[in-house]
Amino acid sequence: MGAAELVQYVATGVLVGGVYALMSIGLALIFGVMRVVNFAQGDFMMLGMYLTYFYTLSGVVDPLLGALLTIPPFFVLGWIVHRGLLARVTGGGDPQRQMDAQLILTLGLSLVITNATTMILSPTPLGIRTPYATQAFALGPVLLNQARSYAFGMALLLALAVYGFLTRTDLGKALRAAADDPEAASYQGIDVRAMHGLAFGTGIALVAAAGGLLATYHPIEPTVAGNFIVLMFVAVVLGGLGSIPGAFVGGLVIGLVQSLTLLVLPFQLQNTGVFIVFLLVLYLRPQGLFGRRARTV
Amino acid sequence: MLAIERLGVSYEGLHALADVSLEVAEGEFVTIVGPNGAGKTTLLKAISGTAPSDAGRIAYKGQDLGLLQPSARAALGIAHVPEGRRVFPSLTVMENLELGSYRRTARAARSQGLEEVLALFPVLRQRQRQLAGSLSGGEQQMLALGRGLMARPDLLLLDEPSQGLGPRIVEQIFETIDRIRRERRLTILLVEQRVVEALELCDRGYVLETGRVVLAGGREALLADPRVQRAYLGA
Amino acid sequence: MPSRARGWLAVAAVVAVGVALTFGVQERYHHRVLTLVFLWAAMGLSWNIISGYAGQISFGHQVFFGIGAYVTVLLIVKAGLTPWIGMIVAIGVAVLAAVLIGMPTFRLAGIYFGLATLAYPLIFRIVMDWLGFQEVAIPMKREQPGWFMQFSDPRSFDLLALAVLAATLMLSRAIETSRLGYRLRAIRENEQAAEAMGVDSFRCKMIAYMLSAAPAAVVGAVYVHAILFIVTPEAVFGLLVVSQTLVVCLVGGTGTLWGPVIGAALMVPASEILDTTVGDRLPGIQGVVYGGALILIMLYAPEGLYWRARQLLLGRAGRGTDAARSAVVAPAQDGAAAVAPMDRALLEVRGVSKAFSGLQALSDVSFDAREREILGVIGPNGAGKTTLFNVLNGFLAPDVGQVRFLGHDATGQRPSALCRLGVGRTFQVPRTFPHLTLSENVMIGAFVHVRPVPDARRLAHAALGRVGLADRADALPSGLTTLDLRLMELARCLATEPRLVLLDEPLAGLSGDGVAVMIGAIRSVRSLGATVVIIEHTMQALLSLADRLIVLDQGRRLAEGTPTQVTQDPAVIEAYLGKRWLARMGGR
Repeated sequence: MGAAELVQYVATGVLVGGVYALMSIGLALIFGVMRVVNFAQGDFMMLGMYLTYFYTLSGVVDPLLGALLTIPPFFVLGWIVHRGLLARVTGGGDPQRQMDAQLILTLGLSLVITNATTMILSPTPLGIRTPYATQAFALGPVLLNQARSYAFGMALLLALAVYGFLTRTDLGKALRAAADDPEAASYQGIDVRAMHGLAFGTGIALVAAAGGLLATYHPIEPTVAGNFIVLMFVAVVLGGLGSIPGAFVGGLVIGLVQSLTLLVLPFQLQNTGVFIVFLLVLYLRPQGLFGRRARTV
Repeated sequence: MLAIERLGVSYEGLHALADVSLEVAEGEFVTIVGPNGAGKTTLLKAISGTAPSDAGRIAYKGQDLGLLQPSARAALGIAHVPEGRRVFPSLTVMENLELGSYRRTARAARSQGLEEVLALFPVLRQRQRQLAGSLSGGEQQMLALGRGLMARPDLLLLDEPSQGLGPRIVEQIFETIDRIRRERRLTILLVEQRVVEALELCDRGYVLETGRVVLAGGREALLADPRVQRAYLGA
Repeated sequence: MPSRARGWLAVAAVVAVGVALTFGVQERYHHRVLTLVFLWAAMGLSWNIISGYAGQISFGHQVFFGIGAYVTVLLIVKAGLTPWIGMIVAIGVAVLAAVLIGMPTFRLAGIYFGLATLAYPLIFRIVMDWLGFQEVAIPMKREQPGWFMQFSDPRSFDLLALAVLAATLMLSRAIETSRLGYRLRAIRENEQAAEAMGVDSFRCKMIAYMLSAAPAAVVGAVYVHAILFIVTPEAVFGLLVVSQTLVVCLVGGTGTLWGPVIGAALMVPASEILDTTVGDRLPGIQGVVYGGALILIMLYAPEGLYWRARQLLLGRAGRGTDAARSAVVAPAQDGAAAVAPMDRALLEVRGVSKAFSGLQALSDVSFDAREREILGVIGPNGAGKTTLFNVLNGFLAPDVGQVRFLGHDATGQRPSALCRLGVGRTFQVPRTFPHLTLSENVMIGAFVHVRPVPDARRLAHAALGRVGLADRADALPSGLTTLDLRLMELARCLATEPRLVLLDEPLAGLSGDGVAVMIGAIRSVRSLGATVVIIEHTMQALLSLADRLIVLDQGRRLAEGTPTQVTQDPAVIEAYLGKRWLARMGGR
């Protein structure tokens, strides 16, 4: 196996990792601000894939644009889900119980979304046909699939947009403040509950857009969430629960790990490497690469 | 500006404050001293709304603060500089200050406010791009104070600014507080463990012990009163 | 808590109902539903052992279910071994897996534990795929159907499943009424307080996990024979298994026998019927029902239907209005001079230092606590008092220095070990076990030295009597006054028969009367023969209560002596009020 082949695997891994990174940023944002592990993250992504598909049915919307267009409706959806469901779960005042209760709520949400979609839409996988899904850029000896490259580029742009939002706007800084110290944030006049809604809405919108990008080269079916939710969790834990840049790096790493695993294992086992990384991180460095606190008994 | 009548606060079943009444007139500098556990921080939290009260009334500019959310109270012009500074560690010094002027009326005057605060605390200008979490204790206290001032408040609540700081920094902080008082038209409510420094700055003071007001008086009266010592040492 | 006999009677009643249904139901399809109800109730009960009683929410319990399925079927296929014996092997494998998984995973706290449990079933799925076991069908054994669990009469499966349920009910009941059961619930309610009361939480969690693995494996084995017939990784290690388990428990109620039974009885028939009637037109209806149930339960009855129903029927438990309480308390002899402190050192602290990320919390602190004395630890805010207690109690290990208790080196030992040696503690904010009655709270302490539950209950009642709370023994902590909570915490601590009692601000939040009662209680602790070390801010009370005082300031020992000496020591006055106050008062 030559260097060129290795570089190919690395390149594919990075391209795929970019989309994973975008998915994971949404999850990290939600956890960072609200301390909620959103089990339904993958299911919202799946819905984003379907919406993008429907956009492309119109014939005029390119899937990449479609992915972008999922952002507004999903932001609103996320806000409503937060206000209507998550904000109403208190777990009896105990913060640990509340986290458990919200986790279980999102698990229930995940079940409902996946199965309702199976009920309403056909379980037959759909695909978006684009001319560039089957073409590739040639970068020296390395071939970069065009669909994945565009998806990577778009994911990068969106991630940068989120980064810009968080670092350059008042609202973004208020979000980060609410994540750092909700009590002190409220002393500055920041409505922490509204910040939670904002974080959830943004997190859902991002993962829906990621789904749209994914749809350019991955089949769309109601159960697709299951393949990716664990990848997202691992990426976020690897990066450090609550760290946005960490989640981005984590996503890239997971893409790489997945790709490199294919060097030694067959396709069905491509996630083995990912799980090994997961367990290693949890036991050796639970706070991940950029995380703030290590929680061990 | 601030009128508190018979306030009672309980935390998880423990009585933190009982039957506390005090008032702060506009432009006054009032100090609350007392030993640890007296309920001083709880009092400021009750004013800001992060500790729920179960008895009594807090009125600000004549308005009953009642069930107002903390963020709403901050929007009314109450700036709370919390105990332990509580700067946002993952944000830069500049970002912390900018967030201080989050409320609408302060946002308009943000650049002016920044200039004033950075003039007051030159070390913050030096460290503006540094993460707040990497600052020393004294610098964080200055940042927290500056953040509070950025809100252009009418009422400034200061919770134990000297806590955990060395004597020289503490002196600096108190000097700055004095300067702030003289240069701006602020009403200040200061909570402190350090008796003399706090009393010397104020117009009037209250002494709190185990959740109740045990002494009240003007500055000189309290400074000369040996009963203040009893509140701390029991003898 | 119902009496022991009533509990077992209720289990028998459930079994009786199960038998009646088995023989009453006619249609083959209804038998299938009945079997499923029994199996999922048993699965829920097994999950309940680790996640309900002990509060460690696991999202990977299906690992044991899958192990049960795969081991029994593979043993038939590869070795022709009857599943009746295969099940026993499967139990062994599952328990072993529980040990291997539990050992590293229980060291993770909070959300990390839950996330880690997600990974294991996924790993098993991959391993099974890799080993080539994507689809293992149970071979037909027409000659000896019974021997291979291949019944033609559906009632046989019902009875088998019912037997599994009955066994799991009995296991759960046995745990519930044992010392382990009480300890698990204490861990769930407040792990730190449980540790301070002598509960080795890691060991208890491991035992519970092993006990929870066995029934799950059996359920998996029976499920595969009664329902599945073909084992695939997805079917036995997949998300639907754990979802069903969770739904059954969460809807019915966690932490109780009846929860999973109620949950299964409600949810399984509902989803099965929906699946049969509209399942063709609406595939996935089961998932929607389960997901919806989880959402509704979390919104409206997060503890589960059993507890909600109990609350409604029994009314709010023990909302004590305890307004005028006369100063009860204290055993026979009282009076400060009744028992004088002895000269022997019970506790020796030598050169203890502790730093936290740059902050030196304790710096070379040394002192002795003598037998039967009341030693007060005071100091201004941030002096390191609570850190000192956490070191003495075992929650923290010092960076430098030694702690000797009763002549033995006690430095860095776990809180539960120290408790068993005789170090007891109460907390600044009372750490009760909120869903246990006062009596049960105190029993946790009593369990340090006794094992049988009735003995512990007797000791607990006696301890509660000593602090004047005997009449509230069956009340829940919510709704009790601060004074009562502190007295209960004290009784719980005393039930561990401590030689050294560490009291962290026992007077905080008490009014004048309450302070007097608490002081009396503390004095009576000393007359029981224990040494008391108190942290307090309420100086007035401490001055009359303590024999000696130690003053900490900025992590160092500043002064030591009688109350009078200490409060007149200029260094102490300066530490509390500042140099300038001292100067003003002329250093009185």
